[in-house]
Amino acid sequence: MRLVMISFVLAACTNSGPPPVATRTVCPDPDPNTLTWDNFGQKFMADYCTWCHASTLPHAERNGAPLYHDFDTLRGVTQVADHIDQYAGSGPAAHNTAMPPSQCPSVPGGPLDRDCPTPSDAERTNLSMWLACDVIPPP
Amino acid sequence: MSRRIGVAALVGAFVPQASGVVFAEHDHGMAMSENHHEDSSELSAGVSVETARFTNTFYVGSYQGIMPSLGWMRGRFGASATIGLYHLDENGLSTYGLGDAMIAGHATVLAAETLQAGVALHVMAPTGSEPDGLGMGHVMAMPSAWAAWSARPLMIRASAGYGRAVTALGGGHHDHGPLPLVDPMNLQELTWSAGADLEIGHRVQLGGRALGGIPIGTGRTRMIGGGRVAWGTPRVSTAFELQLGVAGDPFTIRGVVETALHF
Repeated sequence: MRLVMISFVLAACTNSGPPPVATRTVCPDPDPNTLTWDNFGQKFMADYCTWCHASTLPHAERNGAPLYHDFDTLRGVTQVADHIDQYAGSGPAAHNTAMPPSQCPSVPGGPLDRDCPTPSDAERTNLSMWLACDVIPPP
Repeated sequence: MSRRIGVAALVGAFVPQASGVVFAEHDHGMAMSENHHEDSSELSAGVSVETARFTNTFYVGSYQGIMPSLGWMRGRFGASATIGLYHLDENGLSTYGLGDAMIAGHATVLAAETLQAGVALHVMAPTGSEPDGLGMGHVMAMPSAWAAWSARPLMIRASAGYGRAVTALGGGHHDHGPLPLVDPMNLQELTWSAGADLEIGHRVQLGGRALGGIPIGTGRTRMIGGGRVAWGTPRVSTAFELQLGVAGDPFTIRGVVETALHF
């Protein structure tokens, strides 16, 4: 019992922020096909992500973005689509705002010298819907 | 007395996360103490400084850390607490922050002339930022058992334990490689360690050890090897350890300098 209490006390000291959570967005049936890479995904990634998550950036210029998490191509998005949903998407189970971070570069690979533009709630919802309908293969 | 400090050495050295030099060093320094009484409490205060480079699937970088620690022992029982303050460079992003805090309790259950054994419980608090690669993001509980055999100038020790995040497992965490970057662990794993120290005179010890973790379920097998040199008096002890990441990419190389005062 004491251990459990200690664990709760220690958990209260956490510095971890909200954990990544899958939004559990389900693509409607039939698929409306309204959101695609061309009309949504590519612009979303360019607006909010590829300042750091780009295949053209070497590790020293990624401002902390993990290697192999590159969103300048649909293939790159597809490889970690569930992860994108968990960090930036919004849906029935979660409203994730861990990404983009607070500071961004003005040019891809540059220093963190400006506030990051942030997607609206509607854009985050559309992101998860696009991933569910157009990117993540159905179970 | 040397028995009791040996316990501190073992418990610290076998922590899966900690570099553990200072705890092992306690053994050396305090083994020489001649004015300590079994029924009295003993306090220690230490600080550890470390620097490491890492290269894994997703991150390339380095970190530097400073870790103050406090320890207490009385009879068969003891406790310690430590927390790290880090500078981390990961894929070009420089961050500063706390690591996960750790508290530990331990008890000796067997104390023969040359053989000692006991149990320990380490608990880590998620004071380090998980997104920044400085913390696990969960409370971690790590019970373990340890044993040591000593016949001067040689001491051999080993431990086995279990580490688990105090949270629901399998929560769909995306694989980001070994995390946290400053001292990776699996959410659930078996831990182990083995090592030996040899006194070579003039209050100097040479030693080597290996330690690691074996994931239960998904995760990465991790192994660290290290060699160290330590020097100590009854009141002050200092050690340097050079460690290599043998498996699981915990780091490529890490250097640790630790010193402690005993009261």
